[in-house]
Parts: sequence; C-alpha cells; structure tokens
Amino acid sequence: MTLKECYAALGGNYDDVLGRLPERLVQKFVLKFLNDGSYDLLCRSLEAGDRGEAFRAAHTIKGVCANLGFDALLESSEKLTEALRDGAPPQPGEEELIRRVGEDYRRTVQAIQAYQGALGA
Amino acid sequence: MKNKTTRFLISSLIGVALLCVCVFSFFAVHMSNQSARTINEVGTLYMSSMSQQTSMHFESIISLQLEQLRTLTNTITSDEVHRDRALQEALVEGARARDFSYLAFYGSDGTLEMLCGAQLTVTDPEPFLSSLRGEERKVAIGTNPQGEKVILLGMPSPHEPTPEHNCAALVAGLPVSYISDNLSLEENSERAYSFIIRRDGSFVIRSNDAYRNNYFERVRVLYEDVNGITAEEYLKELDEAMTEGRDYANEFTMEGERYHLYCTHLPYSEWFLITFLPYGSMDTIVTGFSREWGGMTVFSGIIILTALMLVFYKYYGLTRQQLRELEEARASEEAARKDAEHANRAKSEFLSNMSHDIRTPMNAIVGMTAIATANIDDQQQVKNCLKKITLSSKHLLGLINDVLDMSKIESGRMTLNMDQVSLREVVDSIVSICQPQVKAKHQHFDVFIHDISTENVLCDSVRLNQVMLNLLSNAIKFTPEEGKIHMALFEESSPKGEDFVRIQIQVKDNGIGMSKEFMRHIFDSFAREDSARVHRTEGTGLGMAITKFIVVDAMGGDIQVDSTQGKGSEFRVTLDLEKADVMEEDMILPNWNMLVVDDDRQLCETTASALHSIGVNAEWTLDGESAVEMVVKRHQRQDGYHIILLDWKLPGMDGIATARRIREALGDDPVPILLISAYDWGEIEHSARDAGITGFISKPLFKSTLFNSLRQFTGSLTEEEEEEAAQGERGRDLTGRRILLAEDNELNWEIASELLSEEGLVLDWAENGQICVEMLNQSPPGYYDAVLMDIRMPVMGGYEATQVIRTLDRPDRDLPIIAMTADAFAEDVKRSLDCGMNAHVAKPIDVREVMRLLEKFIK
Repeated sequence: MTLKECYAALGGNYDDVLGRLPERLVQKFVLKFLNDGSYDLLCRSLEAGDRGEAFRAAHTIKGVCANLGFDALLESSEKLTEALRDGAPPQPGEEELIRRVGEDYRRTVQAIQAYQGALGA
Repeated sequence: MKNKTTRFLISSLIGVALLCVCVFSFFAVHMSNQSARTINEVGTLYMSSMSQQTSMHFESIISLQLEQLRTLTNTITSDEVHRDRALQEALVEGARARDFSYLAFYGSDGTLEMLCGAQLTVTDPEPFLSSLRGEERKVAIGTNPQGEKVILLGMPSPHEPTPEHNCAALVAGLPVSYISDNLSLEENSERAYSFIIRRDGSFVIRSNDAYRNNYFERVRVLYEDVNGITAEEYLKELDEAMTEGRDYANEFTMEGERYHLYCTHLPYSEWFLITFLPYGSMDTIVTGFSREWGGMTVFSGIIILTALMLVFYKYYGLTRQQLRELEEARASEEAARKDAEHANRAKSEFLSNMSHDIRTPMNAIVGMTAIATANIDDQQQVKNCLKKITLSSKHLLGLINDVLDMSKIESGRMTLNMDQVSLREVVDSIVSICQPQVKAKHQHFDVFIHDISTENVLCDSVRLNQVMLNLLSNAIKFTPEEGKIHMALFEESSPKGEDFVRIQIQVKDNGIGMSKEFMRHIFDSFAREDSARVHRTEGTGLGMAITKFIVVDAMGGDIQVDSTQGKGSEFRVTLDLEKADVMEEDMILPNWNMLVVDDDRQLCETTASALHSIGVNAEWTLDGESAVEMVVKRHQRQDGYHIILLDWKLPGMDGIATARRIREALGDDPVPILLISAYDWGEIEHSARDAGITGFISKPLFKSTLFNSLRQFTGSLTEEEEEEAAQGERGRDLTGRRILLAEDNELNWEIASELLSEEGLVLDWAENGQICVEMLNQSPPGYYDAVLMDIRMPVMGGYEATQVIRTLDRPDRDLPIIAMTADAFAEDVKRSLDCGMNAHVAKPIDVREVMRLLEKFIK
C-alpha cells in the first residue's frame, strides 16, 4: 500500500498535501497521527459534558487534518467545531455530527494502520 | 379655544372701553359743574371786592365832602348865626369855595332853610333827620325844584338848637352826577355796571338804561330767572339781606344773558350799591378753560382708548399667531405621528414579508435536505439537492445581509471604506456574478462602456459592487424571460474639479416597470410594490433603500429613476469619484492591424478608439459577412489582420460561424480570433474552439481589458514583471531568525517546525499561551524575532496571550505576532488584528504565505 493509496482510503487529498509538504514529511506525520490524543480528548470532554474543551479538541483535529490534507475528517470535524463553537447549547443533529467524526476518525486510523502494516511488511 | 379667547378679548375690550368712556364722561361733567361753580365763586369774589372798592370809594368821597362840610360848620362861631348876616355870607362863600351847589340849615322840624341854591326837598326825610338829630353824619337824596336829584350831605350842628333857631344840622347839596362821575359807576359799562338804590328799591343813582324809577319793579318785569328762583323770591331774599345789613350775591338771567349780581350797603346812608357783571365776560375765560379741559379730557380719553385698542389688537394678533403656531405644531406633530405609524406599519409588514421570504428558502433547504437524506445513495439526486440548497442558502444570506445593512444604515454605522478601485474589475465581477441569472432567464444582457479613460478611482469597492448588483439584480428579477437588460458606464468631467471624474451608471430593462405611485416610494425602507405579480418575486424591499443610501448619502452622488409600467425601468446613478493617485500602466501594444466585429456601432467606435489609444490600428464592421470580406481582402494584399475581435451574437451569421468562415478562407494562417462576450462562454467554448476561436475576451471592453487580453499575443512579458517575478523568488534571507511558536498540538507543532526549519528558521515551542508569554518574558529582549500563535489553546488562548505580550514591560513587546489557526472567518481575522496581532494565516500551513508574512514583519 502506497501513501497515495492510504490517502485515497482515508478520504484525503494527496496532491494537495504534496503541494505543501515533501513526501518524506507527509509519511512521518501521517504515522504520527496515530499518536495524536485530540480525538481521545474530544471523546472524554463530550462524556464529561465540557463543551468548551470539546470545542478546542475538535478544533485541533480540524487544524491537524487541514495540515495533513485529511479532507474527510477535516470536513466532519469542522462541522462539529462550528456546532460546539462559543459553548453553543446542544442542537439536534449534534449526535450525528459526533458519530460522523468518530466514523471518519476510525476510517482514517484504519487506513494509516494498514499503510503502517504495509510498510512493516 | 380660539373662539373662547377671541370672545374674552373682545368683551374685555368693550368693557374697558365702556369704563373709559364712563370715567372720562364723569370727569368731563364733574369738571363742567366744577367750572360753573368756580365761575360763581370767582364772580362773587370779584364782585364783592369790586363792590367793596366802590363802597370804599363812595365812603371816601362822602367823608371828604362831609369833612369839607364840617370845616364849614366850624366857621359857625356863634349861636346867633341865623341873625348874623356876615356869618351867613361867609358860610355861602365857604360853600361856593367847596363846590357845594346848595347849602341850608336843616331844622329839627325838617325844614330846609336855604342859604344858597334853590329850595330843595328831602325825598325821605325821616331817617335822615333822625340820624342828624342823633349827632350822626348822614347822606340823603333830595330834589330841586326842577325835579333833579341832589345828594344831600348832613352835618349835625355843633350848637345846641335854640328856640328861635331850631337848627339840627347844616346840609350841603351836590349834584348826583358828582357822585356817579366820581364813582365811575358806568365807566366799565361793558363789563360791569352799578347803581345805588334805597331800601324801597327806588334808584338813587341809576344806570343809563334803567328807565324805571324803582329797581324792584324793574326786577319784576325784566328778570327771567334768578338762579332757579322766581323774581319775587329773589326780591324777598334781597330785602332780608338789606334789612340785616349783609351783602348779597346771586345770578340771574335777563334778556337771555346771565349776570352776576352783588348788593352791598353803603356807609353814611340808607343806600345800597347793586353791581352787575355779565356772566359772559368771565364765563368766556372759565368756559374756555373748562372747554379746553373737557377737550383735553376727551382727547386723552381717545388717546387712552386708542392705545387700549392698539394693545388689544396687538394682543389679539399675538394670540391668533400663537394659536396658529400651536395649530401648526399640532399639525406637524400629527404628521410626524402618522409618519411614525406608517414606518411602524411598514416595518411590521416588512417583518411579515421577511418571515415569508425567509421561510421560502428555509423550506427549500429543509425539504432538499430531507430529499437528499432519503436518497443518500443516489449521487445525482443528492448533487441536485445540494445545488438547490446552496442557492437557497445564498439567497437567505443575501436577505440577512440586506437586513443587517439596513440596520447599519438606520443606526448610522455604515461608513465607506475608501480604497483604490478599478472600475473594470468591479464591472467584470458584476458581470460574472449576473451572468448565471441572466442565462437562467434567457435574457439579453449587454454591458457597454463609453470612453472610460480613468479606470482607477477612489471608492468603496464593496459598496459600489453592491449598488451595481442591486440595480442589475432588480433588472433581472423584474424582467421576464427573453427580456433585454442593458448596462452602460459613461465618464464625464466632474464639476468637483480635475482630480475627480463623474461616472454615470445606467441600468435599463424592458421588464414589468413600476407604477408612478410606487416610484415615489421606491427608495423607502421596506418598500415593495404591492401587486400580485411582485408578490411572487422574493426580496426584502431593502435593496433600493440601501442603494440610495450608499449612492446619495454616503457617496454624495445622485440616483434617478424612470419607469413605465409594462414597458421597463431605467436607473441612472451619477457619482463624482476621486481619481486614484496612481500612474496608470503605460499600455502600449505593437502597431497591429485589428478588426472589431460587433452589431453595435457605438461599441465598435469606442473599442476602436480605445485600441488606437494603446497603439493599435483598428478597423470595424457591423456583421459577419462583411467581416469575412474584409479579412479576405487584406489577406490577399498580404497585409492581413494581426488579431480579430468577433462578437458572438451577430445578426445573421453569428461569431462562431464567422470564425469558421474566416479560418476556411485563410487556410493555415494562425491569426488569433477572439470572441467578445458578456456571457459565460463555458457552454460555447467547445464549439468555439472547434470553429477556430483562439480565445475569449469579456465585456465590458475597458482599455485595460483589451490591453491585458491582447498582451499575451505580443509574445513576451514586460521587463517590470520579469523583475517582479525574480524578486519574488529571491525573497529575503531569514536564516537563523528565532521564532516562538505557540501551539498546543504536538503534531501541528512538528509540521510547522519541520517546514519552517527547512527555511532556515530556529523554532521554540510553547505549548499554550501562558507558556508562550513566560518564555518570551524570560528571554533577553530581541531574542525572538516573531511569534506564531495558535488561537485555540488550553490554559491561555492566542488572543489573551497576544494582549498580555503587548502590555509587557519589554522593549520588544511589539514584535510581530502572526495568528495561525484553523479558523478562517473574516471575524476571526478581524479579532486577531483587534487583539494586536500583525497578521493571520489559516491552516493548513502554507510555508510560502508564512514566510511572506515573516519577511514583511520581521525588521
């Protein structure tokens, strides 16, 4: 599995990220994404009902995804960020947004893990 | 109110006037009475003093004569006088010397023994004799034989009467005229005259005209009225006064004239002096005075009344004016209230319209979302839904923007953001925005630029855009399918001076037009023509109000509208804009031969002249057929056109067909053929390219549009641009500069760090705003050259950290701080700048952008 295939699997824009970063760095950071704690923080904050912290976490995910060109996760996390912005009260459909972020996150992580496996192999 | 005041004024005026008349009449009457009394009093006083004088005069005359008589008496030295002839002679001699006409001894029995003069008779001997007997000097009246009256002076004899000579007194006689002459009783006959009477009324000395012998009789006959009493009563009063010996004064009327009368007793006699004074002589003076007084009274009364009238009139006028003002104030208040009510009603109508207008796109969004969700797997369907949702959202956003603009205008917060604006760019962008709508409604849209020599002006481009867009979108909205919309730009010299240019924007359509009634309100807020066909058209009704505010109030321009219902509308905006202070690019193209083909003669002419001004030799023609002919002719002369501009929509043969024909005629000559179009050429691009069209040029054809589109065929870039490009690549060397990066996410930090390290920068990591501030504060001043700041961080965010850094007590507290965040909304950018940051870059990190900013801000 190539890095390009990995990007296709996680719904990212490989050409775009290569426009900004050398391939060497892209590979490095994509793998590092697995260690990023922002999603955990998001889940914990939402469970604890700390919407401010949840907003910050979603925002961070959005920033990271923007940098790495993970467009699918970027889009869903961006929506969640806006829903949580300024401590806005819960809206109907928010659950759906959270679910979507989780889905995209898992899809991203699975793709990266697959790529990592391919590298190891 | 008005009637009441007027009534009060008039009645009080009448009341005061009446009061005035009464008071002054009273004074006049009183004064008249007073003057009559005064005349009386003065008359009485005058007469009494005159009578007294006459009386005293009489007394002195009589006493003088009596003294003479006494001295004569003293010569009688002997009692035997009646026998002493010599003594009698001496006495007569003495009497003659003393001017006595008569001299006699008066016997105690009343006989007169004449010594000289004729025999006299005493008229009323009794009182005379008794007085003389009583050793009293006395005057009486007597008559001589001729019947003439003689004044008799009686001096009691110093000797005792003897039996043979019973002599009581010596009596001397004087003619009456002596007394009357001396008293000058009639001297002043015109004013006053006097006479002397006895108790019984008979005259002693009478005045000339008194032809009766007795005064009383005369009174009875002549006196008409004596001060309100009859003549008899008067006589009685007079008689009483005579008896008591006091003076008597009265007035009477005789022969129509009033007189004063004064009666006083004369000394040495039983006589009374009666003096008359005609009322007239004194009355004239007093009456004159009294009349003058009365006149003055009436005159002052009139003056006061006039003054009063004036005051009342003025006051009345003032009251009326006040009333009028009050009325006007009330009327204007009423008008203001009506206006307010109208505005209020318009607002509530607007609100209900708005909620309708908002609901429509919202319903579309909600409905389309539901359809898309239901057909989540049908990509075509979802795409279609999304497209409609996007449209509705945009429309909704437009509505909300309008409302926000209006509220900005109404609260006076809308200000212009003046900047250098290219009219070409503005019109270009407007045209590209409007094209999809025009195309959707199959409308004929044309943009026309008349000789715009100044493209760059100072203006608020956003607002200018808004004005044009409002006018155009209205035209599109209210023009049915296949209608015509025409937009034109003119340039004129501005009356404001050489630094200004007057731009006229004209938007004309042949749509539904407006009623005259509505045209009056078109620029009011919340106005929308209230008719069924307009109800189907969405909009806030704020567009024109906003447009007018921008053009007239903010930009100081003018907006005119002309419209006929059913025929179309025309809007003309006139703006005086300052010429932008830039050197216009030196636009020169090679000395090409060019052909312009368009069915609009004006467009051909202005385009040709614009081309001439940039050094191109341009010819033009109005249709495709003649164009082909001209091209072929030139080609045969070996002097072909270098570039051909073709309008797409031509009568008869259209642009594409013409191009095909030209290509056929020219064979493999690669002359560029450009298609002029105000429309989006996406749809025709394919067929155009097939027909041999080299490229496209969009209307409006500004000079710069032409220059920029044609420049590519010169084959090289200008020197300046090459220089610019070279400089861009070189950049500034920031190697070794130290940057503090505040970023809470490790991955983001690593990405930034890796990227920027490769550019030669040295980076330090601060995990949040707090740490960032601390690290900066503990470093020596100038250690860091800039800060890259994430916004959303735990403990302390980027905004707060920036604010803290800007207030640190350090010489480098104003070092460059650049926000680096995933938020890219305009508000975020603005907030970053408001917090004191120098710039804002959005994630993903674009190294070139970050480097450009660092180069810009690091000193």
